[in-house]
Amino acid sequence: MSDIAAFWLDSLPQLLAGLSISLQVTGAALAIGFPLGLLLALGVQSKVKAVKLPSLCLVEIGRGAPALVVLQFAYFGLPQGGLTLSAFAAAVFALAWNTGAYTSEIIRAGLESVPFGEIEAASAMGMLPRDTLRFVIIPQGLRVAAPALLGFAVAVLQATSLCFAIALPELTSNAYMIGTITFRYMEILSLAGILYAAICVPATIAVGVLEQRLGKHAL
Amino acid sequence: MNHIPDTVNLSRMHPVGEPDKPILRLEAIRKKFGEHVVLDDVNISLKSGEVVAIIGPSGSGKSTLLRCVNMLGPATSGRVVIGDLVIDEAVPPTAQQLTQLRRSVGMVFQSFNLFPHMSVLRNVSLPQERVLGRSRKDANKRSLELLARVGLEDKADQYPARCSGGQQQRIAIARALALEPQIMLFDEPTSALDPELGLEVLAVMQELARSGMTMLVVTHEMNFAETVSDRVIIMADGKIIEEGASREVIRNPTSDRAKRFLKAVKDR
Amino acid sequence: MIHGVALGIPWTLAVTAAAFLIGAALGLPLCAMRMSKLPPLRFIGLAYIILFRSIPPLLLVFFFFFGLGSGFLPISAFQGAVLGLGLITAANMAEIYRGALSAIHFGQWDASEALALPSYSTYIDIIAPQLIRVSLPSAASYAVGLLKESAIASTIGVTDISFNANYIAKSTYQGLTVFGIAALFYIMISLPIAALARFADQKLRARVAL
Repeated sequence: MSDIAAFWLDSLPQLLAGLSISLQVTGAALAIGFPLGLLLALGVQSKVKAVKLPSLCLVEIGRGAPALVVLQFAYFGLPQGGLTLSAFAAAVFALAWNTGAYTSEIIRAGLESVPFGEIEAASAMGMLPRDTLRFVIIPQGLRVAAPALLGFAVAVLQATSLCFAIALPELTSNAYMIGTITFRYMEILSLAGILYAAICVPATIAVGVLEQRLGKHAL
Repeated sequence: MNHIPDTVNLSRMHPVGEPDKPILRLEAIRKKFGEHVVLDDVNISLKSGEVVAIIGPSGSGKSTLLRCVNMLGPATSGRVVIGDLVIDEAVPPTAQQLTQLRRSVGMVFQSFNLFPHMSVLRNVSLPQERVLGRSRKDANKRSLELLARVGLEDKADQYPARCSGGQQQRIAIARALALEPQIMLFDEPTSALDPELGLEVLAVMQELARSGMTMLVVTHEMNFAETVSDRVIIMADGKIIEEGASREVIRNPTSDRAKRFLKAVKDR
Repeated sequence: MIHGVALGIPWTLAVTAAAFLIGAALGLPLCAMRMSKLPPLRFIGLAYIILFRSIPPLLLVFFFFFGLGSGFLPISAFQGAVLGLGLITAANMAEIYRGALSAIHFGQWDASEALALPSYSTYIDIIAPQLIRVSLPSAASYAVGLLKESAIASTIGVTDISFNANYIAKSTYQGLTVFGIAALFYIMISLPIAALARFADQKLRARVAL
């Protein structure tokens, strides 16, 4: 038992370094992906075809293709088109696209949950559609979407493990590397699992609490 | 009713224009959903300061008519005339016309439609800032005056969900008044409320009527229609079937359809 | 090139279907535990669900293939992928069942009890048909998600769509085209699943109106 503890202690710095990269990728992907999701949500509802069609394409491909394939597309595929990305940039590119595509649906549902009567009231008072969007629809829509968005953030952190496939030294890659050297896969992968769980379990519980709280504040 | 503080002088707060010239005219309003005729050649004229109640069985087109006035649901044909503003219902209005119309006409809904994510004060101030271009400070000052007028200045920092239905509707009235409309439309303002809470809303409306506001009120409150409004219009099947001085129409209706409706209401 | 990528389709389908079946079956007892009146059972159910939704699927698949596979229990890449994805699917299906159960009106239980139906009959005749009907849309969209998740099987050597795409991309340096084709295959497979689910949903809706 103390043997495992010593092994874990030895490996921990490398795993934490990996976790740090996982978190950086997650943060960057969310920082780009959430605003992108809002834009795509609005774009898909647009009446202008030149806005609607590209938005729809980005959403459908981002949701339809596996994140792993998008990731490999960004890292191994884009060079064919003359664009070479670092592993980190490719990871952020792919996961931000993925995030934008999925959260656009979450945010759209949130925006649609705003009661029509409020939109009508704003209109009856002469508020312009863009003001209604900015002050009435978006603030409430995002609030409704908040739990699902947090839930998706957890999914993005988990998805960073896919970066193993493009040799980005994040948590799963580092654990795997230690495994190949020591052949103690079971122990090292368990430790990596504990590290993921240490972040994702509280976050998942928080999503549940947030959902309940939000339910209470409904009018 | 007496728990509404009488903070403001009730007499003639809203300027009365030329007494005989109508402030609002609805001309030949027709509306069809496919083959179904919802409004059939409705003509109404309101003088400044006049309070008109529209009553009638559900499905008679009362609320639909109200929504034609401010173009929330335009009619198939007909005209709405408010002062210099002439709106042809069949033609999409320009953005400028629409803004002018919505500023001239305030509306209060059955379901209040307050913005739940904003404080009571923000609810009343936001439209002033965005539509009238008032500063935050000026808007808040005006909002507090109006909240005082509906007896709710102490609720300014609360959120709508913390207010009773009656209070929410009074806030919605203050919000509509904040844009200084010439005419106020009320779409069954008490129908979603318990009778007791409805009374406090009716008290505010009565105060508003006495202060000289021009009001077009769709309602089921016979007492309000009889005692507060100057005129009553009875609608059925998309048509006006009876109109005249409130007491007369409600006490002595002439048409059979109107008699049947009023009897049904009284016997309930 | 298209042919090469297409060779992986059966494996992609096999991993997805096997993991889904395991998850759909294991999800039922897990859901029962999660909703049990006995606190220890309820805790185990809840802990399983939260834990398996908190660990990246790739890591879990590695755990079974490399971890268990390295001397503890000989396990193939296919088995490792199906086991890892299946156990995660079970956690998610349990939550889908739980959501569906709460959508079934409590009057159904009351009525069954008032009619003195034995509890197995209540479950099999009354609750199960409604449960399947209500959980079908969520289960179908989960299955579509699982189809895409199954791509991680390629990282341990299951020769699915993703594996073949990766292999061809590296040997031809035409990643843009190859991964584009792979993405298209996944989208094309998910369309009939979604359509089938919609069809079944309408059929069942007609029969088991709620």
